[in-house]
Amino acid sequence: MKKNVYELKYRYHTGSVAWVLHRLSGLALILYLVLHIWVISNLNNPAGFNKVMAFLNEPLFKLLELGLWGVIIYHAINGLRVILVDFFGGSKNQKKLFWGVVVVGIVVFIAGAVPFIGNLK
Amino acid sequence: MNIKFVPGDSGMRRWFFQRITGIFLVVLLLVHFTIMHFIGTGETTYQTVASRLASPLWKTFDLAFLVFALYHGLAGLWVVVDDYVHKDGWRIFIYSLIVLGGALLLALGALTIITFSPQMLTTVKM
Ligand code: HEM
Repeated sequence: MKKNVYELKYRYHTGSVAWVLHRLSGLALILYLVLHIWVISNLNNPAGFNKVMAFLNEPLFKLLELGLWGVIIYHAINGLRVILVDFFGGSKNQKKLFWGVVVVGIVVFIAGAVPFIGNLK
Repeated sequence: MNIKFVPGDSGMRRWFFQRITGIFLVVLLLVHFTIMHFIGTGETTYQTVASRLASPLWKTFDLAFLVFALYHGLAGLWVVVDDYVHKDGWRIFIYSLIVLGGALLLALGALTIITFSPQMLTTVKM
């Protein structure tokens, strides 16, 4: 077989795990965005919109929404870490930064999850 | 063929805008989630959405959100395709889908926001 010079090699360090998770979370978010734009386009039909929203108010979707919050928090805070590393020479503190992401992420996730769950009926 | 089909530039501009739009998205998403899920009843109905979207300010906010999120997400997808798809034909095909799909989603989303005007609900019968 011909050697593929573009082949990617994976090795598992905190950095590469963070990268894979960032990629997967980004892809999940774009998939969500497509569905979201489509669902919200129901706004031209008030009764239809309320029907769809009542359906999406089911516990299963509420749970998925909380999951979405988690995915967003990871992608957002890890994205900010990437930006720090790229623009502000954070590469010396790579590992510390990653664990910072984990801690800040958990705190922000909980800060959002508490009112979110409190709002459930 | 060893030359890969990479339209436009080296990706430097995309790399840069990915970071700029990312920073904007943090703010936009936090406002969005706070309004939709953290304060108020947490329930989305036509009435609650309409009361905001009637205002030009919210229309502007939502339009900016739409443009930034679509750009950032699709530019991200572009990079992923760049990494895993190596055949010229497939690249041209998938890049075309991204551009076409992006244009359609932008049109659908922008029309939803711009043309929105609150309607009376007809569910209440007297
Ligand atoms: C909340 C704020 C966000 C921030 C700070 C952010 C930041 C970033 C950054 C810095 C990258 C580049 C990663 C790299 O070059 O290694 C990236 C990639 C990406 N983002 Fe975001 N992002 C955010 C929101 C979103 C949203 C809402 C979506 C979906 C619509 C999204 C989808 C993607 C995708 C698909 C990639 C490409 C992944 C890859 O190349 O591995 N992001 N993001």
